[in-house]
Amino acid sequence: MAMMEINKLGKVFNSHKVLDDIDLNVEKGDVIAIIGPSGAGKSTFLRCLIDLERRDSGSVNIDGIELNPDDKKCVEKVQAKMGMVFQSFNLFPHMTVLKNVMIAPVRVKKAEKKEVEKKARELLKKVGLSDRVDYYPSQLSGGQQQRVAIARALAMNPELMLFDEPTSALDPELVGEVLKVMKDLADDGMTMVVVTHEMGFAREVANKVIFMEKGKIIESGTPKEIFFAPKTERTREFLKKVI
Amino acid sequence: MNLGFTLSKIPIMFQASLMTIELTVVSLIAGTILAIIIAFMRISKRKIVNGIAKFYLWIFRGTPLILQLFVLYYALPSWGITLTPFVAAVIGLSLNSAAYTAEIVRGGIISISKGQYEAANVLGMSDVQTMFLIVLPQTLRNILPAMGNQFIGMLKDTSLVSTIAMVELMREAQLIGSATFKYTEVYITAALIYLLMTSIFSFIFNKLETKLSVY
Ligand SMILES: Nc1ncnc2c1ncn2[C@@H]1O[C@H](COP(=O)(O)OP(=O)(O)O)[C@@H](O)[C@H]1O
Ligand SMILES: [Mg+2]
Repeated sequence: MAMMEINKLGKVFNSHKVLDDIDLNVEKGDVIAIIGPSGAGKSTFLRCLIDLERRDSGSVNIDGIELNPDDKKCVEKVQAKMGMVFQSFNLFPHMTVLKNVMIAPVRVKKAEKKEVEKKARELLKKVGLSDRVDYYPSQLSGGQQQRVAIARALAMNPELMLFDEPTSALDPELVGEVLKVMKDLADDGMTMVVVTHEMGFAREVANKVIFMEKGKIIESGTPKEIFFAPKTERTREFLKKVI
Repeated sequence: MNLGFTLSKIPIMFQASLMTIELTVVSLIAGTILAIIIAFMRISKRKIVNGIAKFYLWIFRGTPLILQLFVLYYALPSWGITLTPFVAAVIGLSLNSAAYTAEIVRGGIISISKGQYEAANVLGMSDVQTMFLIVLPQTLRNILPAMGNQFIGMLKDTSLVSTIAMVELMREAQLIGSATFKYTEVYITAALIYLLMTSIFSFIFNKLETKLSVY
């Protein structure tokens, strides 16, 4: 059974169909890259999976639990299985790096502070920020902030990580350090769904690529299939523009 | 100017100014807590909740503070509610300042980006946790400069409670003045003490701002 099953997911904004019957299975260990033009519905899709947006139709199943937006406990359970990384980092500016990573395990999981701190320091080491634990987000570069955001999400032990254009807000020279962390994460076996404009990452790291446009999955396949033998004209057009 | 006289009255006026500070601090704290509640009511999408908050602001910002104090101290007894001057003063000042602080707090809360709520949400924080751990700490820092002004304003407004038999700095100055007819000396002394207090608190707030602006 797939780790996550998405069936006929639909979302309407102002009578405009932003997501139109999206089907997708995510297997454990998958790294799925979602590509497509701006406005395709990529962010909305990710956001529906973690209930930041409420879907209008279809179903989302994770580990056999169906996401029911009306059931608070269920939403909590589903969200606890996922971590999310945003384009704009969304770190808590009034907390140090360490505190940012510790706050959710301490307050939400009520885990023991000492243990949490140990784990937080390990995670920050993993993302290469051991020497920045006592800094505030505003004292870090964008790339460093995004790596903290990744560590913060990982601190909750998610089974699945969602990334919404994690490098789009970064200066070009800082993109690499974030992609490197994401690649390491993929190599560790983390299941990931990544909306990205970084075609290199989609090609090298993902095992599955999805091309979305106008609320629909136009084409999906292995990176090889999508990048070297796209089946549809629209995929070809898009790739020609971005590569 | 009679310097000897002035000096002899300084201790008692300082004593009275402690009451001014006490009124200011107590009322500002109570007022801010109330202000946070009203601010949330103003942000609420529920028409009735919002309406109640708007009504509150309309009343308390639309009538003079001195009138509010008179109602509390002079009119309530005929309804069977008798308040001591201190209690009436604190309630009056708190209710009044809450009306102004609420709009400051509301502005501060609105300015917190949607991304902060979303990050807290996906990390599993409850609405209450999001408010107390994420939104309010940032809000309080953002509104600190405006709150400094509120504090100074409140400190001066406490002089109005001299009209409901509350002995604070202004009232003490009046009492001494009318007993000795040395109005110039007492009012200049009172003015200097007010200036000293407003300067000290401005300084403290500036320090606090600098301290909190590490991020
Ligand atoms: N909160 C919203 N309210 C109304 N329309 C929205 C909202 N969020 C997104 N949309 C619309 O939905 C469409 C898809 O948006 P989005 O998912 O952000 O696309 P992408 O991430 O692929 O660029 C766009 O047309 C966008 O304008
Ligand atoms: Mg997007």
